[in-house]
Amino acid sequence: MKVFRSHILICGGTGCHASGSLEVKKALLAELDKRKIAEEIKVVETGCNGFCAMGPIMVVYPEGIMYTLVKPSDIPELVEEHLVKGRVLERLLYREPSTEKTIPTMQEIPFFAHQELVVLRNRGLIDPEKIDEYIARDGYQGMAKALTEMTPEQIINEIMASGLRGRGGAGFPTGLKWKFAASSPGDVKYVICNADEGDPGAFMDRSVLEADPHAVLEGMVIAAKAIGSHQGYIYCRAEYPLAIHRLTVAIAQAKEYGLLGKDILGTGFDFDLEIYQGAGAFVCGEETALMTSIEGKRGMPRPRPPFPAVAGLWQKPSILNNVETFANVPQIILRGADWFASIGTERSKGTKVFALTGDVNNVGLVEVPMGTTLGTIVYDIGGGIPKGKKFKAAQLGGPSGGCIPIQHLNVPIDYENVTELGAIMGSGGLIVMNEDTCAVDMARFFMEFCQDESCGKCTPCREGTKRMLEILNNITQGKGKEGDIELLEELAKIIKDASLCGLGQTAPNPVLSTIRYFREEYEEHIRDHKCRAAVCSALFKSPCQHTCPIGMDIPSYITLIRVGRLEDAYKVLLKTNPFPSVCGRVCDHKCQSKCRRGKLDEAIAIKYLKRYITDNAPRPPVAPVPVTRKEKIAVIGAGPAGLTAAYDLSRRGYKVTVYEELPEPGGMLRWAIPAYRLPREVLAREIDAIRATGVEIRCNTKVGKDVSFEKLSTDYDYIYIATGAHKSQRMNIEGEDLNGVYGSVEFLRDFNLNEEAWVKGKKQLGKKVVVIGGGNSAIDSARVALRLGAEVTILYRRERQDMPAAPEEIKAAEEEGVKIEFLVAPVKIIGQDGKVSAIVCQKMSLGDFDSSGRRRPVPIKGSEYTLPVDAVISAISQTPDLSFIPKESGVSINRWECVDLAPGSRSRTHNARIYAGGDVVTGPDTVIAAIAAGHQAAKDIDEAIRLANGEPPYEEPPEEKIEVPLIIDEETVESPQAAMPELHGAERILSFAEVELGFTKDEAYREACRCLRCDAEI
Amino acid sequence: MAKLTIEDLKKIKERVMAETSLREGQKRVKVTVHMGTCGIASGAKEVLDALMREIEESGATDIMVTTSGCMGLCSREPLVTVEIAGQEPIKYEYMNPNKMRQVFKRHILAGEIQTPFVLARGAEKTK
Amino acid sequence: MKEERDELLKEFTPEQVAKLDEIIERYKSKPGSLIPVLEEAQMVLEYLPVSVQKRIANGLNLPFSRVFGVVTFYSFFTMTPRGRHTIRVCLGTACYVRGGKAIAEMLEKTLGVKEGQTTVDRRFTYETVRCLGACGLGPVVVIDNDVHGRMKPAKLKETLNNYQ
Repeated sequence: MKVFRSHILICGGTGCHASGSLEVKKALLAELDKRKIAEEIKVVETGCNGFCAMGPIMVVYPEGIMYTLVKPSDIPELVEEHLVKGRVLERLLYREPSTEKTIPTMQEIPFFAHQELVVLRNRGLIDPEKIDEYIARDGYQGMAKALTEMTPEQIINEIMASGLRGRGGAGFPTGLKWKFAASSPGDVKYVICNADEGDPGAFMDRSVLEADPHAVLEGMVIAAKAIGSHQGYIYCRAEYPLAIHRLTVAIAQAKEYGLLGKDILGTGFDFDLEIYQGAGAFVCGEETALMTSIEGKRGMPRPRPPFPAVAGLWQKPSILNNVETFANVPQIILRGADWFASIGTERSKGTKVFALTGDVNNVGLVEVPMGTTLGTIVYDIGGGIPKGKKFKAAQLGGPSGGCIPIQHLNVPIDYENVTELGAIMGSGGLIVMNEDTCAVDMARFFMEFCQDESCGKCTPCREGTKRMLEILNNITQGKGKEGDIELLEELAKIIKDASLCGLGQTAPNPVLSTIRYFREEYEEHIRDHKCRAAVCSALFKSPCQHTCPIGMDIPSYITLIRVGRLEDAYKVLLKTNPFPSVCGRVCDHKCQSKCRRGKLDEAIAIKYLKRYITDNAPRPPVAPVPVTRKEKIAVIGAGPAGLTAAYDLSRRGYKVTVYEELPEPGGMLRWAIPAYRLPREVLAREIDAIRATGVEIRCNTKVGKDVSFEKLSTDYDYIYIATGAHKSQRMNIEGEDLNGVYGSVEFLRDFNLNEEAWVKGKKQLGKKVVVIGGGNSAIDSARVALRLGAEVTILYRRERQDMPAAPEEIKAAEEEGVKIEFLVAPVKIIGQDGKVSAIVCQKMSLGDFDSSGRRRPVPIKGSEYTLPVDAVISAISQTPDLSFIPKESGVSINRWECVDLAPGSRSRTHNARIYAGGDVVTGPDTVIAAIAAGHQAAKDIDEAIRLANGEPPYEEPPEEKIEVPLIIDEETVESPQAAMPELHGAERILSFAEVELGFTKDEAYREACRCLRCDAEI
Repeated sequence: MAKLTIEDLKKIKERVMAETSLREGQKRVKVTVHMGTCGIASGAKEVLDALMREIEESGATDIMVTTSGCMGLCSREPLVTVEIAGQEPIKYEYMNPNKMRQVFKRHILAGEIQTPFVLARGAEKTK
Repeated sequence: MKEERDELLKEFTPEQVAKLDEIIERYKSKPGSLIPVLEEAQMVLEYLPVSVQKRIANGLNLPFSRVFGVVTFYSFFTMTPRGRHTIRVCLGTACYVRGGKAIAEMLEKTLGVKEGQTTVDRRFTYETVRCLGACGLGPVVVIDNDVHGRMKPAKLKETLNNYQ
């Protein structure tokens, strides 16, 4: 008998076959042959052991090791490791799923917990094609009651008392509609169900018809009894084949049971039903157009009056309700008007079904009581916005509705509130839009829809929507003009007032509502050709470049990395940015948030690639620029804004002097951002290059002390104030002035000024340090304190996703051992002998939404607790210190203690010779925003000078043309962003060495190849 | 089929309740595949086919298979509910034929809930 | 009548024409039946050229202008022959915000046709639609009766290969 040293069992079950076990087996046999061990090892195909989703599965005996998800490409490694070297291949090893994971109940899942089902009460529970299952859930009981125990008046009164309003959009009281039709004379009347759900993004009716068709039929029979009708129609879109199929089955079954047709339930009441398939015209959702369509004509609306209740289908009295309205009716009859009216708000009763879609984690069908807030729907039920993006607005009512923006997340959704906000309830499409949605493009999208669907019968709608679309197209293509917004508003008003039917009357709503909430976006498109969402592609070359505040030519330098021309890439960087190696390290990279690659897998690591260039190519030398202009300019503050302005002005031939209070230039880059993020010599090199153009930087010179503001005003023609925001905001709690309580920027500045004293322990924080706040300066303070040997806890009053700090910084801090406690705020600081000894904190819970769309932290009473601490660093925010500016300078300072700019200017103060920019104007902002402000100021100052002198505008000297090859890969293979190599262990937390090490050549090349070249025009 | 009276509605209700209630020995397991347009588009039909084949191959006779409409959570479809007599229903999310096979063999036949695929247990609340 | 029939036989088989007549006959006495007739006719004939419309007008005793008006009003009806497969890209709002636009652009580039057109080899007819109600799976592309959800530009080629 042959003895094998090993048996390999390959699962040959259906599941594993489907996942490719045959190929695995083939590869295994080939590999065993190749290694000449086929004689020692027996391969057996076995039956299924049930782990089909983890297949192909392989079990190796005698050890009994189970490998899962084995691919043919794994075989060489598996054979080498397990069968040759005798080591278990961990990577493919089966791992028992943790059984400790408790399974939540449906009520513990927020998506379901906040819903209350009336219309959807049978969802998922019954087979829609089995009438018996519907009957078992009290189906047709409401109808039985209506037919046997109630008069038509009683039915109508019950519906009126319930407060049910039309769920198709307009919210007209259903009972009232029925009453009108009931009182219209005539033997022939019609009950029509509107299932022509044409709003893009709405699928409530489809779901109801597919899941519970009998509920609609039952509601229609009750309506028929109420108005005295014997014939009904369901008008359903042909695009909903499954809904039509299930309706057809339901009608046939109901007829067979005598629940439709002649003598229903033996009561003598007759009612028959037909399905009518819509042929694809949005306007047929309008009631008169729908009726015209059933009559076999083009579906165009008719003027009202006469109303359908008097003269509807075939000129007979008719009622038309939508699917959801009818589905509510049986429950109201069965359980009573009072029960129904107990749900909802004062004027909007019952529940509403929403189709929740768009940029939201849980997409689906949602039924909530009227009055549920938008925030609950989007964040609790919807699970928030995917990929950490920011909520922008929700579109309600599709192309006839409007949007509700972030500041109204607390609004209870009912008919009245929604209308007040400029939207409509509509049939219930609720489309969530994130920050990557352009308000203007959205308005254009809906207008295009309405224009396309306008039936053409009345002029205001036919021509008006066309004109509005033209204007919107122009704006999104950068051809907008001043006055376009006003023209849109005027046209909208006319179309609303003069159109024949609902389509035209509501078509301008999306435009009006986006103008109402996002007017500044319209203005940016028209004036600056800027689309902040980077959607309107006619306005830009690539989304990353468009999003960068200084418009860096990102696709070009990334391509130049790919082809290995780093020196040229460096030149591209310097065209727009005097601080590329700084930005390669500490920029908040807004560009990456709009990177198209991010839609495929992950954004390009633009920041890291930028750094790779500056780390690996020599900096192109800077030649001194001769002073050719007579005007002299003083810059106060040598931070990124001041130095950028100085650099630009100096290159334009001005003599620029920069005044800096501290011993070295750099501002926050030098005195707040720690060296482990931005090494000093890297910053120094950039500033040296600025000096080389001829900029003079006078350090240790504080304006207002070492030199007076008045003297600068007389000595210089123009002044640029860029002193930043270097004063920590107070927490306004007891004990804040004790020794050992620091403001974050003050602490970081002191540390950077006296690094040796701190590192050698001459200055000390103590053992336990608490940092208050969630921004970058909180993280910086915490990581510095940690490096000084302290045990650090960050207290933040909201949740992780609300932290303003960069996610990579938060991650790095936690890796280093910083503890972060969320939903905690300080109450008071306790001292001993004038020095801090403890901090009293309070836990917070999350309340309603603030205007930024984040939940407001609310203190939990009685949750106070005390932490013993040696130092407290407060990092809640920073403000500028403008005490050096005399009142009589004419520079006005606002209530946020920031410099006010003159209306219409982006850099000039109320004194025409004094400019300002950076944090001193905006409050704490990013490095790149400061650089952009510096560019802006230089341009504005130069323009003002030339204008005053009557000179022609400045012309950029011709710059070296850098050819950028166009390489586009045919196939795109999904691959994640390259990770930044980092320093680890003690070397990291015990020193101030740079943590991020920079890409290797190989990593940079591979990352550069991921770029999709959105800038390419083919 | 004769036309129904109100009495008949009650009888149907009682009959269906009796039929669909799960008891050891008769129908022990009820499996519901949720099949709205969205579920079908995400592959619910393939899941249902796989289930039917597994049942056939296993020869089990105590399993009731039914379909129903959308559960509402379209983004996690296909969804499948498994209800075993005397136990809370378990809802599985993101199903595919292989996961269905595994759930059939490990949960329906062997009684081990396949937690990695589970969405939740229990039922929704109705008003 | 003879002329009309000859005209029809240029484009359709006698079986198809017989089916068309059967449909007309079935609906003849029913008021408002034009749209259902057109819907059924299009299922049998795939498209509704003028010759078909004339036959229907005569059969239902309606003016031709009325039939033509209805055919051109509703987007469901087409007067030109179609490709072997119909690709419909959903440009409903939900799909649009989830990248449907990029899919549509990619398709136009790949197929070399604009919306509503059929490729030269009559393999595909390319259309856009307003919301198929499968918003949970956006962006959605429907090829014939198969809904392909969570579509990505990179996945398109592979998907199209399944439809020859």
